[in-house]
Order: sequence, then structure tokens, then C-alpha cells
Amino acid sequence: MPLEATMMIIDNSEFMRNGDYQPTRFDAQSDAVTTVVQTKIDSNPENTVGIMTMAGKGPEVLVTHTKDIGQILQAIHTTSSKIGGTIDIPTAIAIAQLALKHRSNKNLRQRIIVFVASPLDGPAADEKGMVKLAKKLKKNNVAIDVVCYGDGIEEPFDEGKTVLKSFVESANSGDNSHIVTAAPGNLLLSDVLISSPILAGDRSASIPDDLVPGGAGDGAGASSSANNNFEFGVDPSLDPELAMALRMSMQEAAAREAAEAGPAGSSSTAAAPADAMESEEDAELKRALALSQQDQDVDMDAGAAPPSTTAPTTVAAPAAPADAMEEDEEDEDAAIARAIAMSMEQDNADAGAGKSK
Amino acid sequence: MADDAISLLEHVDIMQLNCLDEVSEHTLSGIVAQKKINTTSSYLLSDADEQLLLTIPFHQTVRVRSIIIRSSGGDIDQAPKRVKLLVNRPAIGFEDADGEEPEVAQILDLTEDDVKNGRPIPLRFVRFQGVNSLHIFVVSNQGGADETRIDAVDVLGMTQETTKDLKGLKQQEE
Repeated sequence: MPLEATMMIIDNSEFMRNGDYQPTRFDAQSDAVTTVVQTKIDSNPENTVGIMTMAGKGPEVLVTHTKDIGQILQAIHTTSSKIGGTIDIPTAIAIAQLALKHRSNKNLRQRIIVFVASPLDGPAADEKGMVKLAKKLKKNNVAIDVVCYGDGIEEPFDEGKTVLKSFVESANSGDNSHIVTAAPGNLLLSDVLISSPILAGDRSASIPDDLVPGGAGDGAGASSSANNNFEFGVDPSLDPELAMALRMSMQEAAAREAAEAGPAGSSSTAAAPADAMESEEDAELKRALALSQQDQDVDMDAGAAPPSTTAPTTVAAPAAPADAMEEDEEDEDAAIARAIAMSMEQDNADAGAGKSK
Repeated sequence: MADDAISLLEHVDIMQLNCLDEVSEHTLSGIVAQKKINTTSSYLLSDADEQLLLTIPFHQTVRVRSIIIRSSGGDIDQAPKRVKLLVNRPAIGFEDADGEEPEVAQILDLTEDDVKNGRPIPLRFVRFQGVNSLHIFVVSNQGGADETRIDAVDVLGMTQETTKDLKGLKQQEE
């Protein structure tokens, strides 16, 4: 859980009027800034964030260390009517560093996040000067993140290097500085940032290890969660908290199932979801449907269930044990079917309910 | 008189301990956090260049008589040579520490013998009265190496008689 004072340098040059990012570059940036601020403040109650602009008449500090997102929003709003001029990255970074130096809590590590959507020129385009500046930042224990988009995306000159890339690499100490490039496209700038290493450290802070994919969970949990990611249709890096909730609900359901099925079924339930998914998905789906058709009450519930991924879990559970009791030989199949029914996505559940009517 | 000088490391405010240009694997708190002179294998190493800026804040006002800077583990070239000491400058950065005396409290040139054996280096006592935080700016090292290494730091002196150590106060049993 990083303990950080962050200074964000936003671009407010004329290039921000461009509409290649929805709705305009500046609004896309505002959205991204808000996301960053919220993530930083949420990750540790002591974290502070400041914001400054680097174009206009000259770099200007709008808000210094605050935990109040309202102040940041207000600063962005004020800036939205003051778009103009060209950016001055070196001066802005020097000022940001000065602002960070006078933070009240010296425990906080220093970080500068620069948003660049304008072409580099003047001293910012001089690689030697920028590397020197990066060395100075590194010496003062300042981490730096750069977000390039729009005209800030540079043409690599040799071996895929760009000025900003070498700048970040020179400032990097213990993998604390990153550069992210966001080309115009369907993804929002804030979504790109969320899944980027810039926010990864802050976002994963509140998620326990055994619920993180590839984390230090037990063997069965890790393998089933790897399948769950795909099956839930949620990219866990985009929304780790939702993924965590889904996984926790899955694990709880599996534990309950294991307890209900008794010692005979318990060994198979853990491994079942992984195998079934790959091999006989359709056959199992039919069996799951048949199961739900046996009990009309359950069927109605599934149809009326609110759009929630946990709904199928609660619905499928009561129907299954009765079936398992009746047909001992099909115990394992039933367990698999139950696992499938449990993990179906909401639209699958709706579709199933529709067919059965 | 010098006999009543004790190690002031136990009065260091560990939470506010800070060092600029340190490598994240070899930090200042690694060699000071035990509150006594470091005897373990951990050390402090510089990152971008040979300079280091150690900030050592104290829980209470102290008077500093001498300091020990030991660098015995690595190459002798990596041991600090020119050292500037500053007092009570909580927001210090490298650009602030570049002055000469009397802006900085004292400038020391350490010999190889000083750093190898961790000899206490006597300071100009009058300039180190009422110290709330001590800043040690390592300007250069013995052999011009790219990195500077410090194995142990100790600050010797005494606490101000006017200030009480509130840490020792405990709730009284009725």
C-alpha cells in the first residue's frame, strides 16, 4: 500500500480542444484525473494529491496537497475555461517538485504524474536535458509517471526510443516510474489508466492475496479462479473489487456445496468447474436446464431474479441436493451441473429461464 | 565532560527518518531503525550519483558532540569523504545543502581511517545546541566511485535538560 504525495501535471494547451478522444481531449483528461485522485486517496487515508497545469501563460499550481476531491474538481473546472498556450514540461516538473518538497508529512513518498497530449518542442524535446532532469528527480526520490495521448505520442527515433521513454527510464528506481501510451480508440483514457501499472499498486492494495489471480492462493482456488475470470466476462485488472466479490461468492458457494454433498461429492466439486468448462459445456448446460425445470418455483425465481451474478448461485443450490439424494450414481454429474448452474452469467440464467417457459 | 555523551539514536524519530538518493533496497532506516549503532550486514547505498542527504529528526531537542560514520563493508572508494552537517532544516533538498560555512553548521573531510574504523568525529559543539533534526549531506566519496556506501551512523551527545522524555511516563496505578 504505497504511502504517497502525488502531484498531477495536466495539459491545458490548445491541443486539448481536439475531439479525437471522447468527448474532447480535455474532458477525457479530467475524467482520468478524477479516477487517479480517487484511487490514490482510497488506497491510503494519508495520501495527498495536488494538481497543476503546464500550459496557458505558464505552469501554475492549482491545488497543493489535499485529500478533498472537490478541490481537484473545482480546479479542473476552472481550467476548462483557460485552455491555451503551449506546454512547458521541464518548468512544470521543477515546480511540481518544489510543491512536493514542502509536503507536511515527510513520510509520504513523492510522485509526479504528467499528462501529455501536445507535441514536444523546445527544451522538452531535448533528450539530454530531459535525462538530466530525470536524474535530478531520481536523486530526490521522486517517482514519475507519464501518460502520453493525442499529439503526445511520439514517433520513435531509433530502437523504439522516444524522449519521454528515456526520461521515465532514467528516473526509474525500483520500478516506481511508468509510461503509458493511450491511442485514440474505444477505450476511455481513464479505463486505460486503471489497468495500467500507474494505478495497479494502489488498486490491488485492498485485495487479499489469495483472491488475486496468480496470487498465493491454494491450488484448487487458483485454478478455478483462472477459469472464473473468463467465465464471468470481467477483466479482473479493470475492476479488481468486482472480480474479488465474484470470486468470494464463488468460493462461498463451493464451500456450501461441498458441505451439502457430503464426503462422497466433496472431492469432485472442487475440480469440477475447471474440467466441465472445457469439455462438455453444452451437455452440462442442458442438464442444468433440466434440473431447473424439475422445480417450477425455482424456475420462476430465476426468471424474476434481478440482474446480479450471485442470483444463479442462490437459485440453483436448493434444487440440487434433492436430485443428488435420489440418484446416487449421478451424484458426480449433478455436482458438475450444479457448479455450472451456479457460475452461469446473468444473461445465461435469463436465457435459460426463457427457454424453459 | 565528553564522558556524558551518549548515543542519541534512541531519541531518533524513526517515522520521519528520510534519506534522499538512497536505493530502495538499502535505506537509511535499515541502518538506524534498531536505535543503536548498526552491527548487521545492512547498509545505506546511494542511487543516481555519489551524493546522499540523510535527515535524522529527534523526538526531543538534543546537543550533538560528535558523530560516527562507518563504511567498512564495501570498497574504500565508496566511503564518504566530504560531509556537510546542517541543523534544523526540515524541508531540505540537495540545492539547499550546497552552501559553505556558516550556512552549513560544519564541513568535515573524513579520512580513510575515520570511516574504516568508525572513529567518533568531534564537532564544533557550540553549533550543535538545540538540535531537533540533523542533516548529513555526503558531498563526495573517497575514491570518486559512482555509489557511496555507509554501514553505520551514530550520533553522540546529550539531551537538553529542559526537555523531558515523555516516552517514559506511564499511567499511575491508583
